[in-house]
Amino acid sequence: MNKLRLIIAREYMSIVGRKSFIIMTLLFPFLMIALGSIPIVTAYLNDKGDQTQQIAVIDETGRYAAALPNDNKFNFVAIKGDTVTNAREFYDRANGSISAIVIIPRDVDSTGVVNIYSEGTIIPALESTIKSALTDTIESAHLAAMGIPNLQQIVEKAHVNIDIHAIKWSDTGDEEESSTDIAIFLGIALSVIIFWFVFFSGTMIMNNVVEEKTNRIVEVVVSSCRPFQLMMGKIIGVGLSVLTQMAIWIVLLGIAGTIGGSLLGMTGSVPTPDMMGAGAAVTPEVESEFSSFMRQALAINYTPIIINFLLYFVEGYLLYCAIFAALGSAVDQASDTSQLLTPVMLLMFFAMYAAMGCVENPDGPMAFWCSIIPFTSPTVMMVRLPFDVPLWQIILSHVLLIATALAIVWLAARIYRRGILSYGKKASFKDLFNWLK
Amino acid sequence: MAYLDIKNVVKHYEGHTALAGVSMEVPEGCIYGLLGPNGAGKSTLIRIINRIITADEGTVTLNGRKMTDNDITHIGYLPEERGLYKKMKVGDHIVYLGRLKGMTKADAVASMHWWLDRFDLKEWENKKVEELSKGMQQKVQFIGTVIHRPPLLIFDEPFSGFDPVNAEQLKVEILALRDQGSTILFSTHNMASVEEVCQQITLLNHAQVVLTGSVDEVKQQHKKNIIAVQTPDKIEPNAAVFTLLPPDPVKKADTRIKLAPGVPVRDAIAWLNEHYRLTGFTEVLPSMNEIFIETVKSKNTEQQ
Repeated sequence: MNKLRLIIAREYMSIVGRKSFIIMTLLFPFLMIALGSIPIVTAYLNDKGDQTQQIAVIDETGRYAAALPNDNKFNFVAIKGDTVTNAREFYDRANGSISAIVIIPRDVDSTGVVNIYSEGTIIPALESTIKSALTDTIESAHLAAMGIPNLQQIVEKAHVNIDIHAIKWSDTGDEEESSTDIAIFLGIALSVIIFWFVFFSGTMIMNNVVEEKTNRIVEVVVSSCRPFQLMMGKIIGVGLSVLTQMAIWIVLLGIAGTIGGSLLGMTGSVPTPDMMGAGAAVTPEVESEFSSFMRQALAINYTPIIINFLLYFVEGYLLYCAIFAALGSAVDQASDTSQLLTPVMLLMFFAMYAAMGCVENPDGPMAFWCSIIPFTSPTVMMVRLPFDVPLWQIILSHVLLIATALAIVWLAARIYRRGILSYGKKASFKDLFNWLK
Repeated sequence: MAYLDIKNVVKHYEGHTALAGVSMEVPEGCIYGLLGPNGAGKSTLIRIINRIITADEGTVTLNGRKMTDNDITHIGYLPEERGLYKKMKVGDHIVYLGRLKGMTKADAVASMHWWLDRFDLKEWENKKVEELSKGMQQKVQFIGTVIHRPPLLIFDEPFSGFDPVNAEQLKVEILALRDQGSTILFSTHNMASVEEVCQQITLLNHAQVVLTGSVDEVKQQHKKNIIAVQTPDKIEPNAAVFTLLPPDPVKKADTRIKLAPGVPVRDAIAWLNEHYRLTGFTEVLPSMNEIFIETVKSKNTEQQ
């Protein structure tokens, strides 16, 4: 026990003490934030950076061109007299000074079709601007044409926007608002975290085992302790270092969240003058969406999810990392691992894709079996959990996973103790099987 | 009673036998040579003593008791293929190896300082292993082997990778450890070092013991009754007493004679003294190297 603790401490320090670990741990959250903000930044740059585009409008009805709003992105210029046939000629004559021609056909009232012509790509923002402006205007025009007084107001009153609030009855009879979106997101996120950390640690363990073997330090160490202790010490030490990294990230995330939240709160409380008009209409809606998101997010019962996440993490970690350790012991250099690694990788990726597939139908037979079978259960069950899985299934899944993980650790240890001392020839699966005996 | 007593140890691997009933008795406080060509089974035997692998049959007794896993704290093992954690600091590494052998942290640190001082490595304590020269790494490895002052030391080719100056220092340390009471099992191909440090040897070939005994005994057993004679005269062969051998291929100075079977040395010398102006003579004992080659070769031909 004492030796195991020593080995764990050495493995742990050899990773956590590394400069690259410290840098990666501290930089990774910033990298993620940077990556996440790229779309926002590019959208912002696109908005600000581009000059106003000139759009020619040929309105054959003569009634709707004025409805197109000019802003700093698009400047709509109505052209009189030109017909569809010479639009191309007009576009060419403009020699790039206009970026598109909008043609509102004479029969737009009945067909509802508007054409945009351009040599370049038609950007979605242009489409949506035209669409929303013309839809409203033509709709109003139609209503006005009916000749019924106050029809506009009547229709507006009749108009509804369906918003779904999923209410879940809890066992105690309380009503809780739940959201499948949040549940799905949570399930996938936890599943990906398990997959990624197990995969990441597994490869790290494998490379460490190979390195110890090529270093020849392994023979010195196993003359002082049992190979099993070395293998377990390594698996546990790497696992603890990964948990440390996770804990640091959670703390950083918490700090970033608090700072970010207070920053948002500050800007939100000081609206700029030009936001006042539009902002007054928009803000309450955003506010209520956000609060309903929070309400729904809080409605999920996190305790069983967190407990199960930690259990599945540990069990799945043990299962796969033992395999990685055994494979590492069977080769002389890291580049030889690929052949032995392929089946394990396939299994792991299958577990991940199965989890993704089960999102569609978390109570289906595929989801059921994959969440019971040990090699896929850690990832698949995490996706199912937010959807209330019967307790017996969870217990069965854990029992099978623990039993399999222990069996795999035992088998891996047998391969490992032979593998670390065998040099020279590349081990095949047949050799591994022989070593089990 | 031997300190380390190995009885009928058998080890099979898939397809071949690494040890076919090997027995060996290592007395306390001696340097015992375990010799043999590559693949003879030396490493397997050493790993069994270190409890890295288990024997299929046979027993290993240490100090009168059957060895258990706890006994590995009483062994210091320097494997032929050396290795250290390259990224670890020298001091930390030595302490780690000491603590793995059951030392307390304080003891291990004190002992580490003492040994680093002894090998002039003091200023390297906080350097990473990879920053050291190969020779220095070997010294660190040696310190890691002996830091817990084990009563049984197993050295597999300890001198490989050392320059003559460092090899000499290492030899002095090994002899000092023996004088302090350690029993040393010494596995090597280097027969010159066997003659220098070993009192007893066992020669393994093809998974079996083919020769065992003290170095002197073994040499006596293998002597060919050859005498190097120093004389200014030219000696003529006398078939009843001796035959003339071609001169030593390296040192050409002496005349070498081989005594006829059954002729005692003193009779031959007396006869020579009578007929020639004898200035000196020495009995030529075979070197361990010759014995090694001869034994291994003859056993190999026997098998064929």
